[in-house]
Amino acid sequence: MGRYPLRSFRMNQTPAIALHDVSKRFGATHAVRGISFTVERGGICGFLGPNGAGKSTSIRMIMSIILPDEGRIEVLGGNALDAKDRIGYLPEERGLYRTMRVAEFLRFMAALKGLDRATADRRIGEWLERLELPSVSRKRCMELSKGMQQKVQLIASVVHEPQLLILDEPFSGLDPVNTRVLTREILGLRERGATILFSTHQMRTAEDLCDRVLLIHRGEKLLDETLPSIHRRFDPRTVLAEPAGDQATAQGAIAALAGVSECVWSDEARALIIRIDDHGDPQHAMQQMLAATPLRRIELRRVTLDDVFVRLVGGDASVLEAQEANGD
Amino acid sequence: MTESTSVRRTCVVAWRDFRHTVLTKGFIIGALVLPAIMFLVIPLIPMLTQSTPKPLVGRVVVIDERGGMATAFDLALHSKESAAKRNQRDFLGGPLEVQVTVERMSDHAQEAALRSQVADGELVALVIAQHDDDGERAEVLVPSASSPRHTRHVESAAREAVIRSRTLDAGEDYDRLRSIMRNDRVEVSRISPRGEQAPESAVMRMLVPGGFMMLLWITIFTSANNLLTSTIEEKSSRVIEVLLSAVNPLELLVGKLLGQAGVSLVMLAMYGGVGIAALGAMAMLDVVPISHILWFAVWFPIGYFMVAAIMVSVGSAVTELREAQSLIAPVMIALMVPLMLWLPIIENPNGPLATAFSFIPPASPFVNVLRLTAATEPVPLWESLLAVVVAIVSVMVLLWAGARIFRVGVLMQGKTPTPRELLRWVWMR
Repeated sequence: MGRYPLRSFRMNQTPAIALHDVSKRFGATHAVRGISFTVERGGICGFLGPNGAGKSTSIRMIMSIILPDEGRIEVLGGNALDAKDRIGYLPEERGLYRTMRVAEFLRFMAALKGLDRATADRRIGEWLERLELPSVSRKRCMELSKGMQQKVQLIASVVHEPQLLILDEPFSGLDPVNTRVLTREILGLRERGATILFSTHQMRTAEDLCDRVLLIHRGEKLLDETLPSIHRRFDPRTVLAEPAGDQATAQGAIAALAGVSECVWSDEARALIIRIDDHGDPQHAMQQMLAATPLRRIELRRVTLDDVFVRLVGGDASVLEAQEANGD
Repeated sequence: MTESTSVRRTCVVAWRDFRHTVLTKGFIIGALVLPAIMFLVIPLIPMLTQSTPKPLVGRVVVIDERGGMATAFDLALHSKESAAKRNQRDFLGGPLEVQVTVERMSDHAQEAALRSQVADGELVALVIAQHDDDGERAEVLVPSASSPRHTRHVESAAREAVIRSRTLDAGEDYDRLRSIMRNDRVEVSRISPRGEQAPESAVMRMLVPGGFMMLLWITIFTSANNLLTSTIEEKSSRVIEVLLSAVNPLELLVGKLLGQAGVSLVMLAMYGGVGIAALGAMAMLDVVPISHILWFAVWFPIGYFMVAAIMVSVGSAVTELREAQSLIAPVMIALMVPLMLWLPIIENPNGPLATAFSFIPPASPFVNVLRLTAATEPVPLWESLLAVVVAIVSVMVLLWAGARIFRVGVLMQGKTPTPRELLRWVWMR
């Protein structure tokens, strides 16, 4: 991050983003309800939530594209309007000027962010090369495939080497190859010191990338923790056990143990999936299982963000339907 | 954010909008190439009209049973008035040289043969004089290949010959009567309340205000329409949110307004240049006094920002051009007023109609230009200045409201807002 070294040094004490009791309504809809959180500098923060949770509204308020009805927002130590040149933003509803040529569009975006022509051209060339788009600079934006357009949009958001990068659903519509390219670049930007806030409802992606997770639902914050803390807090209560002998005998023996609320065979895992009830101690239960029946393998299943998500948001049929509709 | 940052962003937006309007094929062909061709061709017109037309050489036969028509035709063809007429330069060319002999036939015996000669181009014309109770009349036959200028000259001589013949029949002296009836003895001038006298020209009185108003209308409306369509395109292609991540809505709005103002100025320079070149070529630059140009310079920016503010706010509120039609309809009606009432306004520039519309936006810039350039009667200065003040206040209000609608509208998707909702957006936080 070479563009604002002095300011960065002085302002490193302030969080990259700080929201204090922020609310936003659109008519009768309460999109965001009194949300507060801070995103410290450096690292990747996942902004999770089901469709319609208020993620994009919150991001738009962080970008000062819309103003909150209540509360206060600080970005890079001040107002986002004052820091636009230090923020990169990839909105969920992405667009390009259809008839503009790729290099011309990127030069325009770079100029808006204060880059001179020579620097912009150099960085655009580097980024096009890095994102495997070397031959598209003279093409018109409308001639590109959706994946290519998405990469061009990403370049537009990072060409000025922002201190804070906000990505709203960056992986939506990308094929696995491009998802991998984008993941690599996001991690690269983190390595170079940028703070990244990205919203998604793809829990696996968030789990792979994020140092920290913010989960909102119906405009309210449900979770704001680092991944290790989430793993600790959402204590795993599911055990996988592979019987050494007869499967039915082992299943019967384990199901009869105190503290086991459920024991079923999974062809996929090729093991018994055993659920420990809320009052049981998983370590103690595992010792009991080993004593009750011969087992080839026994392990505590690691909690996933999917599990956490379903546990916190679960039971809301509309959310689950939305997730299914999106193929997540 | 420093002021220079804001100015820089605004300029970047303005330059993109300007460049991507002016450097498109449609604009280059429609707005630049055609006027440029006219610009080059107009000065050539006087040179072209200096070309000498083909001389009128040959024989004209007049079948004239009573006698007198042939002589009258010969006189008419070679009279001073006729010479003056044919020496006039007009759009058909320079002076016409005439070397024609007139022959008289006293009967119709050879009429069929003479008609054939006309058809073959051996005769310049055949004039058949006839006499009835109303007096002399004539039929003129010319070859089909006869040029319009030749035909007009022969026809004119035949008309004069008929009148001369009728005058003689009435026992009058044709040349004396003609001298009495010369109509160049009347000159109409206009005299202002300050006693200034100027020659009257009804055509110019109508064309000059109309020309100024159309120039204003076309340059403003084209750019304002560009603003409407480009804003809708940015919204529908979802590029607007990308832009708003880099600039604030006000910078975007001002940048777009300035960019299209540049487009408007380019068009004004081209069309205005063509107009001035045309007037210069016709030695008529005096019909556009400097005061007209100064008033135009005052009303052009006012008119542009007035219409542009309306168009850009409507563009920001809709996602398709079709949806814009209903919101724009009232504005279009107001903009059509000067086009529809052009003649009544210049006929009576201080009448209640013209005065009322001088203060009603968005018609006021166009109506004021019409009034101020109409030569009929001067508009009181205080009234013109008051109209300017009212219009500037209107522009400020429209820009303020436009900016507020734009800020909300650019992020709105879905159904087209009603005018009432647009008003609510103005007051929305």
